[in-house]
Amino acid sequence: MAHAHAHSHSAKRYTGIMDWLTTVDHKKIGILYLIAGGLFFGIGGIEAILIRLQLIKPMNDLVSAQVFNELITMHGTTMIFLGVMPVIFAIMNAVIPLQIGARDVAFPFLNSLGFWTFLFGGLLLNLSWIMGGAPDAGWTSYTPLSTNDYSSTHGVDFYTIGLQIAGLGTLIGGINFLATIITMRAPGMSFMRMPMFTWTAFITSAMILFAFPAVTVGLVLLSFDRLLGANFFDVAAGGSPVLWQHIFWIFGHPEVYILILPAFGIISEVVPTFSRKRLFGYSSMVFATILIAFLGFMVWAHHMFTTGLGPVANALFAIATMLIAVPTGIKIFNWLFTMWGGQIRFTSANLFAIGFVPTFVMGGVTGVMLGAAPADYQFHDTYFVVAHFHYVIVGGLVFGLFAGLHYWWPKMFGRMLNETLGKWTFWLFAIGFHMTFFVQHFLGLLGMQRRIVSYLPHQNFDELNFISTIGSILMGIGVLAFLVNVVITARKPVGAPDDPWEDGRTLEWSIPSPPPEYNFKQIPLVRGLDAFWKEKMAGNKEMTPAEPLGPIHMPSPSILPFVMSLGLFIGGLGFMFSTEDFSNSFMSLIFNKYIVLIVGLLITFGAMIARSVHDDPGYHIEVEELEGEGKA
Amino acid sequence: MTANQQSNEGPTVKHRHRVEGPEKHIIVFIFSIVLTAIAFAAVAAGGINTAFTIIILLVMAVLQVFVQMGYWMHLKDKGHLMPILFMIGGFFVASTCIVMALFWVWW
Repeated sequence: MAHAHAHSHSAKRYTGIMDWLTTVDHKKIGILYLIAGGLFFGIGGIEAILIRLQLIKPMNDLVSAQVFNELITMHGTTMIFLGVMPVIFAIMNAVIPLQIGARDVAFPFLNSLGFWTFLFGGLLLNLSWIMGGAPDAGWTSYTPLSTNDYSSTHGVDFYTIGLQIAGLGTLIGGINFLATIITMRAPGMSFMRMPMFTWTAFITSAMILFAFPAVTVGLVLLSFDRLLGANFFDVAAGGSPVLWQHIFWIFGHPEVYILILPAFGIISEVVPTFSRKRLFGYSSMVFATILIAFLGFMVWAHHMFTTGLGPVANALFAIATMLIAVPTGIKIFNWLFTMWGGQIRFTSANLFAIGFVPTFVMGGVTGVMLGAAPADYQFHDTYFVVAHFHYVIVGGLVFGLFAGLHYWWPKMFGRMLNETLGKWTFWLFAIGFHMTFFVQHFLGLLGMQRRIVSYLPHQNFDELNFISTIGSILMGIGVLAFLVNVVITARKPVGAPDDPWEDGRTLEWSIPSPPPEYNFKQIPLVRGLDAFWKEKMAGNKEMTPAEPLGPIHMPSPSILPFVMSLGLFIGGLGFMFSTEDFSNSFMSLIFNKYIVLIVGLLITFGAMIARSVHDDPGYHIEVEELEGEGKA
Repeated sequence: MTANQQSNEGPTVKHRHRVEGPEKHIIVFIFSIVLTAIAFAAVAAGGINTAFTIIILLVMAVLQVFVQMGYWMHLKDKGHLMPILFMIGGFFVASTCIVMALFWVWW
C-alpha cells in the first residue's frame, strides 16, 4: 500500500497547451524561454529598424519625436531585459543540467515561476504600446526626465512595474542556477572540472543575485515617486536625481557582464569542439571570469564621468575600467591559442564563434577608449557610445547566442539546423552588423548625438547614416534567414545523433538528442575535465554510471507558477492605474480603490498558500519503464 | 520503500538538527530577545547620554547579526562555505551602495 502510494503512476501528465503551461522540466522551460525571448527579440528588432529608417536621411519625418523616444526606450529595454536575457536563460536551461550530469535544476517549480514572471512582466511592459504610450525616458530612465513632471503618460509606470515583475523572474532564475550548480553536479565533477559554459553561468547567476536587488530598489523608489507621491529623486523635496544614476549603474554595469559572460562560455564550448582541441588555459579562463565579475561591480561610475563626481573618482573608475581589459584579453588569447594548431571546422556555430573574437575585441577597445575619463567628455552621449555597446552586445553577445543556438539546437530539438542557411545567416548578419555600427563610430566622432530624432543635412552625417540603415536591414534579413532555417528544420523528422558534431566534449553529448525527461538514466561518473571526451579517448562509447539503475524521482507539473505570475500582472496593472482619473465610474471604483491591485495580489498569495499547504511528493519513473525506453 | 527515499535528502538534514537539539534553539531565541530588550531599555531609560545609547544599540545590533547569521541561517555549521562566500559577496555589494549614497549623494 505504502509502496503503491509512493510510486503511484497517477501523476498528472498533461498534454498539449496545458503541458507547456504546467511544465517544470528544464528542457521545456528552456524552449519556452527561447520562444518568448525570440518574440521580444523580434519586437525589439522591428523597433530598431524603425529607428534606423527614421534616421536614413536628414530631417526625416517617418515617426514623430515622441514616438521616436518611445522606440529608442523600448528598443533598449526590450532587447536587454526581454530579448537577450531570456535567450541566455533558454540556453542555460537547455544545457546546464545536462552539462553537470543532473536530472533537472535544483528547484524545478521555481524555474517555471521564473519563466512566467518574466513573460508576464514583459507582456505588461509591451502592453504600453496600446495602452496610452510606451516609456519614453530612455532605457536608463534617468530622473528627473522619468518623473511625473516630465513624463506624464503611464509609459514609465509600465517600465517600473513591468521590469520589477520580469526582474523577479531573472532573480529566481539566477538563484536556481546557483543552487543547481553548487549542489547537483555529478559525482567526480569538482568545480575545476566544470565545463566553461557552466562556469560562466555560475558566475553570471552570482552577479544576477547581487546586481538585481539594486535595480529592484531603484524601480521601487521610482514607482513610489511616480505613483505614491514620494520624493526620493525630487530635488525640491530634498531628493537626488544622481541617486538614481548610481543605483541604476550599480546594477547596470554588472548587467552588461551578466550578458556577456554566458557568451564567453558559449564561445569556450564551441571553439574547442570545432578545433578538436581542449580549451587552452582552462584555469586562467575560470580565473578571468571571476575577476571580470569582481571588477564588474567596481566600475559603475564610468557611466557617470560627466555627472560631476570630481577628478579623483573619475580617475579611480577609469583605472578600474581599464583593468577589466586584462582578464578579457586573457580570454581572447586563450580562444586564439585553442584554435591554433587545431583541426578547425567552419560550421555555422563556429563561424559565429570565430566572428565573435575580432568583433568583440573592437567593442572592447572602444570600451577602453570610453574608459579614459577625459576622452569620455568628448564621446559621451554621441553615436560613438552607441557603436561601442552594440559592438559588445550584438557583435559579442548576439554572435555568441547564435553560435550557441546553432551548436545546441540538435540537443534541444533533436534536429540539425541547415548548415547552408546557417552560413547565410552568419554572413548576412555579420556584414549587416558591421555596416550598421562601424560607421556609427565616425558619426559619433563627427558629433552626432545619440537619441536625437533627426539631424540637419550637410554635416557629413548623411551618407554614414544611410549606410547604417542599409546595414540594419541586412541584419534583419539575416535574422529572417535564421527563422526560415528554424521553420524548415522543424518540419524535418527528429533524427539527430547523440553526438551530432562527433567531437562533443561534455556530458550533454553522451545522452540522446533530445534527452528523455529524466536526462540521465544513470547519473554518470566524471573522471576529468571534458568528461565525455575523456571516455571517448579511453575507448568507451558511453559514460561510466555512478549509480545502479533505479526508479527516478520526478517533480509534478504545476499550473501554480502561471497563476502566481498572472496575479502579479493583474496587481501591477491595478497599481499603475490607481492614480488615473477615469471618466467611467466603474473603472474609477475598481482602480482608484485599489480593488484590481488587491485582487491580483490575492491571486498570487492564494497560489502561494495552495503551494504551501498541498504536499506534492512528485512521482517515480520505474525501472521497467526506463529499460523499455532505453531500447527504443 | 527505501527507493521512496532515494532522492529525498530530508533524513540527514533532520538528523543534524536533532543532534543540536531544541534546547540550544530556545537559548539562542531567548538571547535574541534579550538583545532586543536591552536595546529598547537603553532608549526607554532616557537618562543615559545619547552617544552611549548609540554605542549600546550598535553593539546589540552586531551581536544580533552574528546570532541571526550563525544560528538561524546556519552559517556556523559545517559545509556552508558557499552560503558564507555569497553572504560576503552580498555584504560587499550592499556596503558599496551605502558608501556611494553617503559620500556622493548626501555628503
